[in-house]
Amino acid sequence: MLKRVALAVVIAGLMPVAASAHGPTRQKVTQTVEINAPADKVWAAVGKFQDMGWTGVFVKTEGTGDNGPGATRKLSLADGGTIDEKLNKYDDAGKTYSYEITKVDPKVLPVANYSSSISVKGDATKSTVEWKGAFYRSYGLNDPPPDQNDEAAVKGVTGAYTASLANLKKKLEGGS
Amino acid sequence: MPGATAPSPLWGGSGWGEFRRDAVLRLRLFSIVTESPLPASPRSKRSLASPRQGGGVFDYVARSSSKCAALGAVIALQVGAAQAGEAIITNQPADSVSVVDLDTMKSVAEIKIGGKPAGIALSPDKKTAYITAPEGKELIEVDATSRTVKRRLALTGGPLGIAAHPTRREVYVADWYEHKIAVIDAEKLTVAADIPVGQSPSGLAVTPDGALLLSADRDSNEVSFIDIATRKRLSGLAVGERPFGITIDAEGARAYTANVASDDVSVIDIAARKVVGTVKAGHKPYAVAVAKGKGFVTGQYSGTVEVFDATSLAPVATIEACDHPEGIEADGKGENVYVACWGDNIMLKIDAGSLKIAGKADVGDGPRAFGKFLR
Repeated sequence: MLKRVALAVVIAGLMPVAASAHGPTRQKVTQTVEINAPADKVWAAVGKFQDMGWTGVFVKTEGTGDNGPGATRKLSLADGGTIDEKLNKYDDAGKTYSYEITKVDPKVLPVANYSSSISVKGDATKSTVEWKGAFYRSYGLNDPPPDQNDEAAVKGVTGAYTASLANLKKKLEGGS
Repeated sequence: MPGATAPSPLWGGSGWGEFRRDAVLRLRLFSIVTESPLPASPRSKRSLASPRQGGGVFDYVARSSSKCAALGAVIALQVGAAQAGEAIITNQPADSVSVVDLDTMKSVAEIKIGGKPAGIALSPDKKTAYITAPEGKELIEVDATSRTVKRRLALTGGPLGIAAHPTRREVYVADWYEHKIAVIDAEKLTVAADIPVGQSPSGLAVTPDGALLLSADRDSNEVSFIDIATRKRLSGLAVGERPFGITIDAEGARAYTANVASDDVSVIDIAARKVVGTVKAGHKPYAVAVAKGKGFVTGQYSGTVEVFDATSLAPVATIEACDHPEGIEADGKGENVYVACWGDNIMLKIDAGSLKIAGKADVGDGPRAFGKFLR
């Protein structure tokens, strides 16, 4: 145990003072799902910034500011991990909003400078939900460790989007 | 760490949960120490210049801009907005550059270059493009006329921002990770000197008289002033938080930095080496262009281009542009401003007078065009 602490101290010493630089290539993830439900109903489910219950992934959403400018939310995972987010744009008529992550531990999701938008398109019977993410890997230097490289970042975000959208479809098509 | 091995949430197989395991963490720490800091950069990717549509439009452009420059000027006067130019857009995830005809707003070629290209500068005659590949750690020289990769120079660190000297054959490459600027002899394509600057230098710009190089040192919140003749950093100037793109106006009087973290633009009097104003920008601004007496700032997260009066610094308009607008440049006459839209894979044309979107061109995936990309 002592050895591990000592090693961690050595590594911390090697880190540059300003660790704000991010990976060189921003990653892009887009996931969509078609849902046999009216667009209004789908938007009613996903369009509340402080209610991510539709995802089935986040067990709790807390926050302030409703759907107004600068609104915030804290998402909690079942195992205790959290993600802090801020609302950037909200368009009720256009059924879309965009937001960013303001704080996340790389162990929860290995991303940095993450921005995203969710939109609902469709008619009275059918809808398409699109979730787009733009982010860098969490590791801000060259030669990232495997759990903080570009692939890990893309895998984490893709996994969250896919599971959430599948849950939404199931929930809304299940007749509830 | 009780609970460290708890199963991940619903997307269990995706990998999040794995990051919480002690064993993986230890392996990660170990790998930082043992991994070679400078693995050989991938050199296998070669030029795959696309020959498609190599004919008519480009031939016309080439003629009017070189052999028949005078005639070209007359034509331009007669039809008003005719520009007969091209944009060279770096498509980072696509590993390519798109060549866009500015008259037709159509992509006329896509050149595979590799290395996750981002930054771009053009030689004084605009016949050669110099492109940084931060992932491949290379400088890639592209002949814009034949649309082929001519030479590649292996670099280290994180080559990103780039600028070319207005007269001499010299190119400057900012190293995002090693906090220096490489002076490149563009004739031999070798590193002639390294100039240490602040933390994570990003955007670079050279004054029109070729005397000064300005570097936006992102993580120092400063702009470095560098004397090109002596290759010495003269001084640093505090600007807003996390300056990324830097642009010098055509007169060489003012420089503008897009400050990512403070959502504003610092306006610099170059001769006085002073910040003379700060202008509100969109969210996470990337770079600035100047045209028709106005500044245009791309806002990555807001999807906007903010317009301000370059004299009074008063806000003029907010243009709803696209998904993650990034690289931006005004054409030579200042009639139109062109914007690379990373999220939408398009290049926008904005009329600098009416401030309306005047055209869209499809380009490759993830266009960044960080630097000067119009020829």
